[in-house]
Amino acid sequence: MTLKAIGKNSIAVTGIVIIGIYLLTIALSFFWLPFDPVKMDVDHLLEPPSLATGHLFGTDEFGRDILSRIMKGGFVSLVISLSATAMGATIGIAMGTWAGFLGGRWDHWLMRLADVLFSFPSLLLAIFVMAVLGEKTWNVIIAIGIVYIPQFARISRGAILGVKTNDFVRAARSNGASSSFILFRHLLPNIIVPIIVQISLSLSVAILLESSLSFLGLGVQPPAPSWGNMLSSARKVMVIAPWTAVYPGLAIVFLVLGFNLLGDGLRDLLDPRLRNLR
Amino acid sequence: MKRLTIMLVALALASAFAGAGAFAAGTEKVLTIGVDQEAVGLDPHIVTAFSSMRRIDLLYNRLVRLDDNLVVVPDLAESWDIPDNLTYVFHLRKGVKFHNGRELTAEDVKYSLNRVLDPKTASPGRSYISLIDSIDVIDKYTVKLHLSAPLASLLDGLTSDNLSIVPKEVVEANGNLQKVECGTGPFMLKEWVADNSMTLVKNPDYFEKGSPAVDKIIFRVIPEQASLLAGIKSGDIDFATINDGALIRQAARDPKVVVMSKPGLNMRIFSFNTTRKPFDDVRVREAFSLALNRSEILTIAEFGMGKPTGPLPVAATQWALPLSKLPYATPDLERAKRLLADAGYPNGFSFNLTCSSTYEGGLAVAQVAQDELKEIGVTANLEVVEWGAYIDKWVKRDYSTMIELRGGSGEPDRFLYRTFYSSGAVNNFLFKDAGVDKLLDQGRTQTSFAERKATYDKLQVLLSEKVPAVFLYCPNENQVLSTRLSGFKEIGNGSIWYLTYTKVSQ
Amino acid sequence: MGRYIAKRLLSLIPVLFGVSVIVFFLVRLIPGSALQMYLGTQVEATPLQMEELKRIFGEDRPVPLLYAQWLGRLFQGDFGYSLRTGRPVLPDILQRFPISLELTILALIIALAIGIPQGILASLGRNPAGDVINRMIGLLGLSLPQFWLAALMVLLFSGFKGWIPMGNYVGFFEHPLRNLQMMLLPSFAIGVGLAAVIMRYTRNSMLEVLQMDYIRTAKAKGLKYRVVILRHALKNAILPVITVAGFNTGYLLGGAIVIEEVFALPGMGRLALYAIYQRDYPVIQGIVLVIAALFVLVNLATDLVYAIVDPRIRLDDAGRSA
Repeated sequence: MTLKAIGKNSIAVTGIVIIGIYLLTIALSFFWLPFDPVKMDVDHLLEPPSLATGHLFGTDEFGRDILSRIMKGGFVSLVISLSATAMGATIGIAMGTWAGFLGGRWDHWLMRLADVLFSFPSLLLAIFVMAVLGEKTWNVIIAIGIVYIPQFARISRGAILGVKTNDFVRAARSNGASSSFILFRHLLPNIIVPIIVQISLSLSVAILLESSLSFLGLGVQPPAPSWGNMLSSARKVMVIAPWTAVYPGLAIVFLVLGFNLLGDGLRDLLDPRLRNLR
Repeated sequence: MKRLTIMLVALALASAFAGAGAFAAGTEKVLTIGVDQEAVGLDPHIVTAFSSMRRIDLLYNRLVRLDDNLVVVPDLAESWDIPDNLTYVFHLRKGVKFHNGRELTAEDVKYSLNRVLDPKTASPGRSYISLIDSIDVIDKYTVKLHLSAPLASLLDGLTSDNLSIVPKEVVEANGNLQKVECGTGPFMLKEWVADNSMTLVKNPDYFEKGSPAVDKIIFRVIPEQASLLAGIKSGDIDFATINDGALIRQAARDPKVVVMSKPGLNMRIFSFNTTRKPFDDVRVREAFSLALNRSEILTIAEFGMGKPTGPLPVAATQWALPLSKLPYATPDLERAKRLLADAGYPNGFSFNLTCSSTYEGGLAVAQVAQDELKEIGVTANLEVVEWGAYIDKWVKRDYSTMIELRGGSGEPDRFLYRTFYSSGAVNNFLFKDAGVDKLLDQGRTQTSFAERKATYDKLQVLLSEKVPAVFLYCPNENQVLSTRLSGFKEIGNGSIWYLTYTKVSQ
Repeated sequence: MGRYIAKRLLSLIPVLFGVSVIVFFLVRLIPGSALQMYLGTQVEATPLQMEELKRIFGEDRPVPLLYAQWLGRLFQGDFGYSLRTGRPVLPDILQRFPISLELTILALIIALAIGIPQGILASLGRNPAGDVINRMIGLLGLSLPQFWLAALMVLLFSGFKGWIPMGNYVGFFEHPLRNLQMMLLPSFAIGVGLAAVIMRYTRNSMLEVLQMDYIRTAKAKGLKYRVVILRHALKNAILPVITVAGFNTGYLLGGAIVIEEVFALPGMGRLALYAIYQRDYPVIQGIVLVIAALFVLVNLATDLVYAIVDPRIRLDDAGRSA
């Protein structure tokens, strides 16, 4: 796969462009914001979007500028999404490859454990973990990460099982290669494709999970803005001030769309079964 | 667990496929109430949930009740005498029938109060009447209560839903009254579909002739407050309690709905754990009282729906002193900073402020308070916890400062004694002050209004000086009604008793 | 086949056992307790009362003992009683099941109705620009936060009577039309996201099948394009779609927590959420166990359907790892 190939895939490109715009905006938020995102302003409560006041996306029930909060909250949402995916992927892949490679009893018990975690609906599992650990940003990452572990474990195990019996692995084994050599040299590179696709999917789902948790009051806590908790507090006032819910919601929609487009584009490019089709 | 089974399980609940009773005959007058929470159970002596109380309001009667001015008026007791401050004699109404047709007598009053007093019942109503040491049935319609010590708030306490009068035989037949109902109230339970709806029908034998004015009341569970308002607008429901300021503001602009709003007895407070540094220093607490701008908090957190308050809720008009007569109740940032400097914190400090995202948990209040306290150089770190965890911290007094919603009372003894007495049951501030204790003891034994008023005036000033908590405001009690309804009145404690007299036009 | 089913059903036991252990101990790690929630912040209780209450709420025994007692009764089919309402747990769950089931079925129908045609169109590659737009619209559906969509729907439709359930939910068999009317928006809020998943699988699977020799042969034989696509290609491409649909059914049955919350539908997800909020341990234990069992059973059913539709598939453990 080359950059040129990615460039030809308009789905992936659109995704990359959207994600790029977000990254730039978030980077900008470290140097400049239209308003202080946590400063309350009792004289400008729930003002509709307007050029005249400078509140392009309006203000919330505390008189805080919604655009500034979206920019600031984007960083929080993105960090959670990246960290949770990293955590779930690292542990899940380790579990899955280990189980798939060793087989036997290890495989059996690790996969039973994954089955147990897997049979919880993901939001319910995340709610559980948040309730036990308490509502801190770090814990949101852990909760979502735990949801991801069985997903990555399954995918990497399946992929390992798929290539384990291939001729080149048998050949390497009969040539006396060590297990870890085979694992890293031959097996891991072969599972990288489904993993990449899963990662892009997980990044988008993490944003949605964070916002669902915050919506239920169990996620990132105010006054620090996150898109989810902005929506959570907007829920009370959206009947008189729809903009408080519309803009943070759109912020989520487009970033998630970006990750989804990137994921689907990569899948087209990387999936060996689809690679030669176009 | 086995015991629990016996205790709690009484009747199988209505079948899943039972109709919601939505198709009423044309002539029937139906009033539909939207509530945001399902009732937990219906036993007046056991339940603590507000949602259950709203049903019990209409199903049972008490000896006495509160009218819309928070004055104690007759209910099951036609009249009463207080020969001395330890003795209360109640004369019951004659011919009152339980919903099973049996007449209510003095024995039922004795049985009900004894059931509440029995520790095995674990009744939340026990604290209202725990000073009762004997209950005597004088005749079929007369009952005498004797107290071990004076308790000026007894009558007010007896208005509590937790002290409803129930029939012995129904309790004994079912173990408890969580799933069944047999009161004397204006309405009777007809059907209960969990988490969906509850249907009450008119009690044709109700002792006040001509009441109630509607044939049927349907409670529908709608968790979203915005949906409640939408339901009233679309005509799906007629009546709802809404505490969301934004929604009330919108409803008030709509000619199709009626908004009733008046300061309630609940009180929003900023609590200190007075045993933790630096809040053990009264000057720090006074500084906070001067820094927090009550009306600004009210404007932002409640859309102005409420009134700033002192230690007694403003709705208790005969008792509450105006803010202008209370020290440390008007914002003064310079003085607050000086007090902090005197206490040894010229550069401020940082501390944890516990709150929760439920309405009671006051997240919005905490955010405004955090913003205001920056002005005097102190940093509040919000500790926002889920409601169950909040209660846990509340019970264990595991907090430095906390935003609370306290259920006040129109009766000063009832609210202040349990809250601020050094051994008070809900003295979460771990506040101890000999002067306060002395005034509380005094107010409890005095019987004349003038004497008591003088005592509680002093006490309100003293509490404002000692600041176990900053008293912020009393949120309004808001009811949103469709224009079809007339005759409803708000009491201020959330009760919907006046639906008994509410009329529905077609 | 019979042996395979038996083996799979047996493997259900350790999973459910694991779930029950995790849930039982996890819920008790959550700060707060059912008793505290019952007492709230307004109630005073004397020490004697507290002792009695602790006994009633099972807080006087160590957790492992409680677990053993609970497990013992569970084997007799007794799920215990709610600490909050005193109602038996299992009937309460079963009462809510039809609502979650209906929501799941409707959402699936909507998702399949949108996703499959979209997926087929995207696979044909007759109009590259149109394809890309088609896929982007599909993915947009997947990117909408369900609760946000639901909240916007409530905002937009609340003025119209009958579309949003107002605590007046009626069962399908009681009043089919009114029931469908109020279930439509919630199902749609779930369905649009699922449609994108279905579209993605349909497209990929179609792309693969369209490369197969027999399709080329069919085309070469001069069969009509539409016949080739619908009768031959789709028939073979549908398998992965069944799997993913089945997999999602398992999750949806567990309750669409936020959707049920926003639309006030008394389904299983909302029961679970409130039980957690209220620390109603027996209800949480019961519902999570039921959800997990449903999930595993639906997956088994999916695998069986898979095998029936395509006899070439051999049923073994490896079939699940995909």
